[in-house]
Amino acid sequence: MTTMATALPQFPWLTLLIGLPLAGALLCLLQRRSAGECRWLALATTLATLAVSLWLFVTHGDGQSGWLLREDAAWIPRFGIRYTLALDGISLLMVLLTAGLHTVAVLIAWPEQRRVPLFMALLLMLESGLMGVFLAVDGVLVLFYLCWEARLLPMVFLIGIWGEEGRRRAAVRFFLYTLAGSLAMLIAMIALYLLYAAQTGAPSFALADLARTRLTLTQEYLLFGGFMLAFAIKAPLVPFHTWQPDALSESPAAGSVDLTGLLLKTGLYGMIRFAFPLFPHATRNSLPFLAALALLGLFHAAWNAYRQDDIKRILAYSSISHLGLVVLGLAAWNATAWQGSILLMVTHGVVTGALFAVVAMLRSRTGTRELAELGGLWGAVPTLSAFFLLFALASLGLPGLANFAGEILVLLGTFRSQPLWALLALPGLVFAAAYLLRLVQGMLWGPAPAARGMMADLTVREWLVLIPLAVLTVWLGLYPAPFLAPLAGPVQAALGGLP
Amino acid sequence: MIVPFAHVLIFAAILFVMGLGCVLARRNLIMILIGVEIMLNAAAVALVGGSAYWRQVDGQVFVVFLMAMTSAEVAISLAMVVYLRRRRGTLEADRFDGLRG
Amino acid sequence: MNQTLLFLIPLLPLCCAVLNMLFGMRLPRLFAETLAVSGVAASFLLTLLFWGYADGDGTRAVLGTWLAVGDVTVPFALHFDALAAPMTLMVTGVATLIHLYAVGYMHEEEDYARFFGLLNLFVFAMLAIVLADNLLVLFLGWEGVGLCSYGLIGFWYQKTENARAGTKAFLVTRVGDVFLAAALLWLFALTGTLSIADINAQAASFTPAVLTALTVLLLLGACGKSAQLPLMTWLADAMAGPPPVSALIHAATMVTAGVYLLCRLFPLVSLSPAGMAAIATVGALTALYAATCALAQREIKRVLAYSTMSQVGYMFLAVGAGTVSGAMAHLLTHAFFKAALFMAAGCVIHLAGNENDILRMGGLFRRGPRELFWVFLAGALCLAGVPLTGGFFSKDGILLAAYTQGTPLFLALWGIGLLAALLTAVYTFRLVYLIFAGEPRGHMHPHELPLLMRWPLWPLALLGLGGGLLNLPTLVGGGEWLSHRLGPLAGRVLTAAHGTEWALAGLATGLVVLGWGFARWRYARFRGEWDNRASRFLLHGWGADALVDRLVVRPFAAIAGLCAIGCDRALVDASLDGLAKQTTACGERLRGLTTGRISTYLAGFVWGFLIILGWFLLALVR
Repeated sequence: MTTMATALPQFPWLTLLIGLPLAGALLCLLQRRSAGECRWLALATTLATLAVSLWLFVTHGDGQSGWLLREDAAWIPRFGIRYTLALDGISLLMVLLTAGLHTVAVLIAWPEQRRVPLFMALLLMLESGLMGVFLAVDGVLVLFYLCWEARLLPMVFLIGIWGEEGRRRAAVRFFLYTLAGSLAMLIAMIALYLLYAAQTGAPSFALADLARTRLTLTQEYLLFGGFMLAFAIKAPLVPFHTWQPDALSESPAAGSVDLTGLLLKTGLYGMIRFAFPLFPHATRNSLPFLAALALLGLFHAAWNAYRQDDIKRILAYSSISHLGLVVLGLAAWNATAWQGSILLMVTHGVVTGALFAVVAMLRSRTGTRELAELGGLWGAVPTLSAFFLLFALASLGLPGLANFAGEILVLLGTFRSQPLWALLALPGLVFAAAYLLRLVQGMLWGPAPAARGMMADLTVREWLVLIPLAVLTVWLGLYPAPFLAPLAGPVQAALGGLP
Repeated sequence: MIVPFAHVLIFAAILFVMGLGCVLARRNLIMILIGVEIMLNAAAVALVGGSAYWRQVDGQVFVVFLMAMTSAEVAISLAMVVYLRRRRGTLEADRFDGLRG
Repeated sequence: MNQTLLFLIPLLPLCCAVLNMLFGMRLPRLFAETLAVSGVAASFLLTLLFWGYADGDGTRAVLGTWLAVGDVTVPFALHFDALAAPMTLMVTGVATLIHLYAVGYMHEEEDYARFFGLLNLFVFAMLAIVLADNLLVLFLGWEGVGLCSYGLIGFWYQKTENARAGTKAFLVTRVGDVFLAAALLWLFALTGTLSIADINAQAASFTPAVLTALTVLLLLGACGKSAQLPLMTWLADAMAGPPPVSALIHAATMVTAGVYLLCRLFPLVSLSPAGMAAIATVGALTALYAATCALAQREIKRVLAYSTMSQVGYMFLAVGAGTVSGAMAHLLTHAFFKAALFMAAGCVIHLAGNENDILRMGGLFRRGPRELFWVFLAGALCLAGVPLTGGFFSKDGILLAAYTQGTPLFLALWGIGLLAALLTAVYTFRLVYLIFAGEPRGHMHPHELPLLMRWPLWPLALLGLGGGLLNLPTLVGGGEWLSHRLGPLAGRVLTAAHGTEWALAGLATGLVVLGWGFARWRYARFRGEWDNRASRFLLHGWGADALVDRLVVRPFAAIAGLCAIGCDRALVDASLDGLAKQTTACGERLRGLTTGRISTYLAGFVWGFLIILGWFLLALVR
């Protein structure tokens, strides 16, 4: 127990973080509310959640290690299952990102006309599930698994009901892929639980307990593989990635923001929180393999992005490519690279989320996602185009904008322990520029298609979405210190776990 | 106990097999239902016998439940038989294959 | 005075850029223009004001922390020293004049806020390179100038070629940036710091192999920004941008960033003889390559672009020959006269009715404003290296440095440099004759040029002509001011017998006269341009674009196609779809078991029951 837990009986902030969106979702569904009411209700809920997470960030974001907050209660004692939520520096950032991006997502989904109450409810349920994934850390793998799965369904429905033309196939694919991974994780989890119970006689699902299980190397590899399969599919690492471009390009705008900004991060978060500390030997031995997958993903996705004709698919592949760099940083296994990786997870969430938001706004004006049918947008909607350019530049790693801070830390850290990996990753800078500038070229520059009518520039709601994201993009690029500070302690602790 | 327990069980088994034979051999829905009833009664006989043998009332309680349940089941299934006869004009069991995969 | 105020020098243009980008279109045009010019002019004045800070070891100032993780600490810090100060003064000064010119040149442009915003942002980024105290801030500026160059080359974005030229420039320079980034990472891993001064101080402890590798990486990084072989293909296409942009970015400042980088890290670079030889070789070869290309170009700005490439090649040669002061002297004079030439070229294009092709110009001496001719001629004389102009002294210093190195390699490079000097004279006077001599060959619109397009040219032309005074050799009674000013940063001290120096100067003069004579013979009266295989080869820059297309672009696209179609669609997706199909087929086969008939099910029950019963009986018997 940390010192915090012995202090005054504290307010259950973490449960509040999960409960608020859930309550909002239920309120949306009950009593046949009108669409307008639901929009405001969802906005209010997400804002309240954001306020809570901001408050936690301000009061706890000073970089101490260990759990900053912890809530613990008995749940199913017979199987050693407890309800434990805990927050450390890493999850603090993720919680903040979740709350922030969901507020944006609600604003993006504002013009949605079909079955608004259900849409908003699903969005809020998703937020609740994500919060659970990021908070259900210490105590119970069961709770984590529950939330892990609870995120899946709302997303499937968001894609399947409100998606674009190919939504059915994309939703089914997303569901099957994720489920396959989750199943592997569930089996590994139960196996670990049984092994621990057999060794000690006292069943427990607590992370701290399970980490003490004595495993042979083979057992470790098998279980590690089970966990990593789930996380690799979610992240996604390269051979397991083909669900992602489909899901991202077919889902509604708010769903894309959520998927790319948050859902993909849960895979990486799972690696950091569960797979690495539970199976240190297997982790240590498979780091080069992980790095190879990361590099493969970095380039494979970049090449793919270069060849896509659909703007959302280009962004989807760029997402995979960036996450390759994140995984590379994790595989390098040193503090600089790790902090860079986690920062990059956050900045990537902001930047790519913003790109999807802008693309959705452009799409609602032009009605097409085909790169070939676009062009000359700068002349028609200069402000929107300027925002797009800003986020695209941030995404290609321009110094002074968000992604660069994370990328350079990853590279600096990686070079120190594994120079070759870092050198191999460097051409990625050019590749990212290649596909993103192709995208910018195709969308903003050149002559405008003859058939295009007049388009309105930004509305007030769109300003409200884009301004905070743009400010964050610049802020994270120039002064990332407040976001790096909470990471120092937990990263140091996590790195120390390796034999 | 006047009748030996073994006799009761043998009787119940014979009754059960007769019911089963009826269910398997007949194609008419009503006859199949009758077969099922006979099998249920075989089970009831076995329960009563056991109850008497071990001098415990549980078995007889079960039988009372069984009778209530059987009558309810017969009521529903006969109603369905009447409905099906009216709807399809036949009670041939093999004609009803709506659940074919 | 507080030294943190030094930050005002780069930050003022940044502020003006941000203001112009955010609110420029809502402000009155005059206000936006004034804002842009005054931001840069204020930086210029501040540089003069703070000049004393550069004395001795210079002054460091820290604004705040950028990145701080564990033992990695990167502050926003600048270092104003003897090397940075003249460069800062040049950048802000030339930029001020070019901004003024741009106000005149772009006065019909409607998207002025974007233009001036990007121009100001460029000045900020360039100053970040110049003043950076650590490599990461330098990298910030390095990428920043690339971005602004991208935005400004493609400023007239409605034409796809323009935007495409911008993209090409960004991508090619980014290839160089990758090498710079690799050097940066390596230096950090070796020294644990990114501070330039610390790295230079620790450089002596590296092994020779590491030093050479680092130098080559830095050289390749510099090649990207400075358009040197083999990363030179973007500069000629970059002329799609407006002339003020070419003057500022692609002549005076950004393309010399590579030279400045090598000068900044000279203490490190100079420790590796092999690396120095590589730098000099790249420089000399580029000087020759670009000079040959310039001979055959038809667009006025492309001639100037190739000449820029060639002159920057001389600067690389200077660094390779070990004289930072020589490189810096040429850098500064070149910035003056080349900016003047580009702006004059802008005026020429303006007068010729947006005609770029020099073969369809001519006669501007008689028809156009005489003032323009003199300015252009001043720039051309400097470029050709006519004695007593700034270009003559600085170029001569470089050739002398190469000559006095004395090794066979450097003598060969010296020879190449001489050849390039001859060609420079030829193409420069070709340009002058084709534009100004004879009768007009196209449609001209001679009209009065706006004031703002005329007078910013004079200071630059004069500075170019008098640029020799910056580093006047002792041979002609000069004090070598720049070398003294740079002090320990100046590199090798050149020592040569006076006789040798006079001989070299005489040789250079002879070459200029030769080149001028050839150009006069060939172009004084227009007889049509050669159109043969050789000239087409030179016109297309030795086919470099086609080569890059074949070696890099097409394989890249092919691999991309392989990944997208071959791997993702054909391999992963298809195998998963196959799996799904197999599963479905299995289900289809099992479907036959459910007949829907009660009798089948009952039979199943009974058989199952019998099997279980049999199992139990068997167990009982055992």
